[in-house]
Parts: sequence; structure tokens; C-alpha cells
Amino acid sequence: MSDVAFVIAGYGVILGGLAAYAALLLRRLARVREDRRSGDDRG
Amino acid sequence: MKTRILGIVALLAVVAATLFGLFVVPADLNQGDAQRIMYPHVASAWLAYLSFGVTALAGIGWLIRRDLRFDSVAVASAEIGVVFTAFAIWGGMMWARPVWGVFWQWEDPRLTTTALLLALYVGYLLLRRLSDDPARRATRASVVGLVAAVDMPIVHFSVIWWRGLHQAPTFLSPDKILNPSAPLPFVLALVGMLGAFTLAWAWLLIRRYQLARAELAREEAVRGGLIRKASRSASSSTASSSLPTGDVAGAGGGTQSKAPAEAAR
Amino acid sequence: MSVLRRNVSVALAIARKDAIAEVRGKQAAVSTLTFAALVLLLFGFALGPDPRRLADAAPGLLWLGLVFAGLLAVGRFHEVETEDGALEQLTLYPVDRRSIYAGKAAIGALAMLVLGALLVPLMAILFAVDVVHALPVLALTVVLGAIGFAAVGTFYAGVTVRMRAREVMLPLLVLPIVAPLLLAAVKATSAALTGDPFGELPAWLELLAGFDVVMLIAGAGTYGFLVEE
Repeated sequence: MSDVAFVIAGYGVILGGLAAYAALLLRRLARVREDRRSGDDRG
Repeated sequence: MKTRILGIVALLAVVAATLFGLFVVPADLNQGDAQRIMYPHVASAWLAYLSFGVTALAGIGWLIRRDLRFDSVAVASAEIGVVFTAFAIWGGMMWARPVWGVFWQWEDPRLTTTALLLALYVGYLLLRRLSDDPARRATRASVVGLVAAVDMPIVHFSVIWWRGLHQAPTFLSPDKILNPSAPLPFVLALVGMLGAFTLAWAWLLIRRYQLARAELAREEAVRGGLIRKASRSASSSTASSSLPTGDVAGAGGGTQSKAPAEAAR
Repeated sequence: MSVLRRNVSVALAIARKDAIAEVRGKQAAVSTLTFAALVLLLFGFALGPDPRRLADAAPGLLWLGLVFAGLLAVGRFHEVETEDGALEQLTLYPVDRRSIYAGKAAIGALAMLVLGALLVPLMAILFAVDVVHALPVLALTVVLGAIGFAAVGTFYAGVTVRMRAREVMLPLLVLPIVAPLLLAAVKATSAALTGDPFGELPAWLELLAGFDVVMLIAGAGTYGFLVEE
């Protein structure tokens, strides 16, 4: 396996992971806020 | 809105730093292209340790002020810290394999220290998950975070001594790019990546903090709902009362909140 | 009676209470000792039968055995308090929380010493290691390691005592923290057994002592937050 493959694997996982975590965070935020909104109606 | 701008700036900075590190900066004479992994690796490691410090400090804040906002900062920083610690280890492994021929090197103090850091973080987060009462959880977490923070310098020294007397940095050492006399393009690439990642970290921290506050509010709303069902005479959300399970929680807008005595479970 | 003397006497009282309980309920103590011996035996099966490999690994195996058995011991000294709400009773007394911590850490360290007294000879026998010539240094290493482990283990036992899944949370939290202690203790033991060819023994013993001091202070300082309700 050439060095380049490891570089790609390194950058790929780190940057991809960052993006994935960011997306996941935004989704969790949206979901919780929605829960609260609909919950308060029943509140 | 300011957060959104921060996010966009961070994204652009990361992209720019990545392009710079991958295509503009020359390859290292001795380590070759593999050296490029150092930029995100070191940046991730820096943020892993920064997050750890923030978590420990926020824990102290809770213990002194009993304001749950500190605890929200702590959990936000811890979760982000796990992510960056994992990246740091991954980056370290991806660097080690081409340069040293192995994925793991016990004699590399930074790799072993970061692995322990990951274990400490994971333990911290699992501990939080097993506590239901916000105040109790915050106290346990703060105390655990403190002891872990105190342990880290000891770990640092012990693994360095462990490596023994044969520790002269070589051309194949990860310490090379941290040397201030390194060539300018390398330094620029490193500083650029550090800055970009830090911006991203800040954005993530804000968002994760918001999530923590929202989840806490939802927790308390759920408790509020139960209280309202159980007892009509309960006043609004600022009253504290017992849940059927005997678990007593302090209620409140999520700011000043000191848990009253809790019955044994 | 000065405050310090009273705290010390409280700590001693707690240690004595737990010790008596251990001696009376012999079963738990004997089980822990048996477990420790079993661990060493299993290591023999896992890493043997080459005697040289076992002799090389002996210090590490000794301390792993001490750590695993020690986890059981410190966990139990806190668990006894969950019966009949004993822990709440303890905290109702107007005592400095640090005394409770000190008492439990002391009995924890004592338990580790007893374990050490069993495992060092066992290591000598099972892994063909000559310990007699290094006995004083070995004893010192075990004492320092016992104090450090008890300091950490007692603290985390206090953290997890009323949690769900505490049997797994205690090891999970303790083991990363004691990694440097394990490392240093093994290095010191190994140096002691081989006559310290590189002169590194003082450094490792200092690290152990430093670990002990730091962890005792950290544990005593924060234990109060856990017990107060």
C-alpha cells in the first residue's frame, strides 16, 4: 500500500468524520427542538 | 446567526487548510507524503486535549456554582473531545504505518497517552449515561473529570520515562514538525490546520452546548409533566417534588439548581 | 480534641469496622485471595510453558493480579454500605467527609498488602523468580502501589456505589487512571528483581510516590461532593 493511500485514509476519515458528526449534531438539535415544540402543545 | 457564520468560515478554513496541506506544501524529505497526515493529526490532538481541559474546568464550575450550564458545557466538550481523540489516534496510526511500518508503537508516548485519554473520555460519557438526576450526574461527572485531568500529567511523564533512555528524536519522529526551526511551508500548513480545526471545534462546541441545553429542558419538561399528573397542588415548574420512584429532582429553568436530598434507590 | 485528631480517629474507626467485618465474614476475603491466585495461575496457562517468557513477564503478571483482585476488594468495601442505608447513616454523623474516604482507602490499601503478601511468593513459585534478594525493595514497591491503587479505587467506588452497572463501571473508570501506576510498579519490580542495571529504580519509586500523593489529595478533596446529598 503506497503512502498516498494512508494519507487519503487519514484525511478522509478525519474530515469525513467531522462532517458526519456535524451533520448528526444538527439533526439531533432539530429533533429535540421539534419534540419540545410538539410536547408543549400537549404540556 | 453568528454561529452560522462561524460555521461557514470554519468550513472554508478547513477546506483551504486541507488543500494547502495536500497539494501546496512539499513532501517531507525523509517521511515523504505521509508527513501530510501530521497536520490534521496534530490539530485533532490539540483539540482533544483542549476539550479535556474545558470539561475539567466546567466541572469545577458546576461544583462551585451549581449552575447546570457549566455541566452542559462539560458534556458538550467531552463528546466533541471523544471525536477529536479518535481522529488523533486514527491520524497517528495512518502516519505510523508508512513511516514506521506498524500501526501501533508502544514506545510512542503520544499515541499511548492519547489512547488512555480516549478511555477516560469514554468512561466519563458512559458514567453520565447511567445517571438520571441532572444534579447528581453533574456532580459525579465533575468529580470524575477532575481526577482524570489530574491523572493526565502523570500519564504523560510515566510513558515518556517508560520509553527509556534511547529517545533521541530522529528524522522519522513525529516531533519534527513541532520544531520551531522547521521550514516555513510546514509551519504554515500546521498553523493553518490548527486554526481551521479550532474554528470548527468552536462551532461544534456551541451547537453541542445548545443540544445539551435543549435535552436538559426536555428532561425537565418530562418531569414537569409527571409532576403535574401526580399532584394537582404542585405549583409551576419551580417547585421540587418527589417522583414515584423515589428519585428526587430539583426543578427550575435549568439555571440555578441544587438537588435536595435524594432517597436511596 | 483537635479537629485533626478527631478526623484521624474517625478514619481509623471506619477502617477498623470494615476490617472486622471482613475478618468475620471470612468468605469474601478468602474469595478475593483465591481469585487473585487463580489469575496468576491462568496467566501461567496463557503465557507458558516456556519458563523464560514467564520469568520475563512475572512483574507484569504480579501487578495485573493485584489490580484485578484489588478492584474486587475496594468495590466491596463500599458495597457493604449500601445495605440498610448504612452510607446515609455514616454521613449523618458530623464528620469530615475526608475521614470516611481516608478510612476506606486505608482498609483498601491494607487489603492490597495482604494480596501482595500472597501473590509475591506465588509469583516466585509459579514463574521461577528469585525474590528473596530483593524483598525489601519489593515490599516498598507493593506498599506504594497499594496506597495509590486504594486511593483511586476507593474514590471511584464512592462514585459508582449506587449506580446501575456498577460492577463494570468501577473497573472501566479505575483502569485507565491506574495505567501509570501499573507501568511504574512493574518497572520498579522488574528493576528490583534484576538488580537495577540501569539505575532507574529511584525514578520509578518516585513516580509511584508522586502518584500516591496526587491521588490521595484529589480523592480526599472531591469525595465530599459525592457523599453530600
